[in-house]
Amino acid sequence: MKALILGANGYLGPHVIKALEADHELLITDIKPPPSETPHKFRQVDATNLEQVMDAAEGMDTIINLSVLRPHRVLAFGVNTLGCYNTMLAAVKHKIRRVINTGPHFTVTGPPYEGFDFDIGPDIPPQSGINLYAHSKSLGQEICRVFTEHHDIWVQEYLFYNFRDPAKLTPGGGGVPFQISWDDAGEIFRLGLKIDLDKLPSKCEVFYCLGDMPHGKFSNEKTKRILGFRPKDDLSAQWTRPA
Amino acid sequence: MQRRTFLGSSAVAAVAGASTAAAQSSSGAAGAIRRVLITSAEHRLAQVLADSLAETHEVRLTGLNPVESKHPFQQSDLGHEDPTDKLVEGIDAIVHVGEPLPNHDMHRQIDHLTRRTYNLLLAAAKAGVQKVVYLSTLELLTPYDAKFVVDEQWRPRPSLAGPSLPKHLGEYTCREFARVGKLPIVTLRLGKVVPAGEMSRGAFDPLWVAEEDVAQAVRLAITKGSEDTGSSLSRWTVLHISSGYGKARFDSSRAKRVLGYEPAHNG
Repeated sequence: MKALILGANGYLGPHVIKALEADHELLITDIKPPPSETPHKFRQVDATNLEQVMDAAEGMDTIINLSVLRPHRVLAFGVNTLGCYNTMLAAVKHKIRRVINTGPHFTVTGPPYEGFDFDIGPDIPPQSGINLYAHSKSLGQEICRVFTEHHDIWVQEYLFYNFRDPAKLTPGGGGVPFQISWDDAGEIFRLGLKIDLDKLPSKCEVFYCLGDMPHGKFSNEKTKRILGFRPKDDLSAQWTRPA
Repeated sequence: MQRRTFLGSSAVAAVAGASTAAAQSSSGAAGAIRRVLITSAEHRLAQVLADSLAETHEVRLTGLNPVESKHPFQQSDLGHEDPTDKLVEGIDAIVHVGEPLPNHDMHRQIDHLTRRTYNLLLAAAKAGVQKVVYLSTLELLTPYDAKFVVDEQWRPRPSLAGPSLPKHLGEYTCREFARVGKLPIVTLRLGKVVPAGEMSRGAFDPLWVAEEDVAQAVRLAITKGSEDTGSSLSRWTVLHISSGYGKARFDSSRAKRVLGYEPAHNG
């Protein structure tokens, strides 16, 4: 499969590339040049620039949108909201049926929701709240969803929170109850490109991407059930009592 | 029209003394809404609303571009800097008309109703604005079969064209501000807004609503809940605003019940 990756030079990008490079032809793009030499094709693309996204998507089978910007309001809405609009326009133009979009978990379960409940899954009406990052990403996700209602495009929305290197866990160090190892995160993208689109319950599906957390706060059950995700890395040591 | 620029709060109060007094007299209770900011001053509807509300409220207009108006006006790009904070300082209610400019492509329409709306609402929440009335569109519901009676309980089904998608995203942003309790917001979904006189000419359009009726609904949405504590307006209220004509595509039963809306123009 020919895969366009937008925002590939962020934190997550290298791990997605590592998971996909054996089986797929990758076009790596980012607003910044790659930090080191890459064996893959690279193109400098600003996700807010429709023309650049359109050009990069030509001839692709899938688009993986990892682009993200958090603190600056103009840029956050540009990248997180309008970047999704550009991604979907490019998918329409080039008849790309498979899109993977990404964001933080509070795109769906923001502060108004997550403080109250347990075993929280992704299949609820989005409640991002008004945190800039959460809300601008949530709007982007909504744009993707609306496109799937009008076009033959299937969007998988992968939501993350914290990433960990299992070799660097601090026993008893704690942390948010929504974490995944970098390798397991990459693996979900491999599964997302592998799954038959007809096996997805709908044309727009949201997945919580986290390992097996001991808290029971958030659930990865859907990601396991539909994508076949089996987290390899155990991060639970972070919540064990110090010896 | 004679152009009047925006004045500071005290100056505006002096200029609009008579209407302010009328507003105080009509609303009475502490926390009553007196000063109203209306966005999209470039748009005809914003001017119509300003004319109507100025009878009882102190009205200010704002727009992205300079606008000639008999009402106080402050140009603003609704950015995230101090000027937006200053724009809403002393304001009790905002009518966010949220209409795109004629030269706005879809990117700019979406930007206007997401980022700029976010900036406006954030500033409003910080300034203690009591209420926001957001004007959306009934086009969000036209994809449903006309045989159904579609009310506010039906899920919006935006098209990918303007103004449908941008207006929907504007609702999305407003809803989250209401959800987290930052601002009480009333969303009025409007049909095709036309002057009343136009409704009697040409072929009937079941989406028509007279701008005078929209002005009535906006006035009620602003005042309801501030004067009338028994109002059933919640912190997030969506209401459909149509003409009173029996063959209107959408009816306004809820707006009639909740606001006391009574459309006078029936086509």
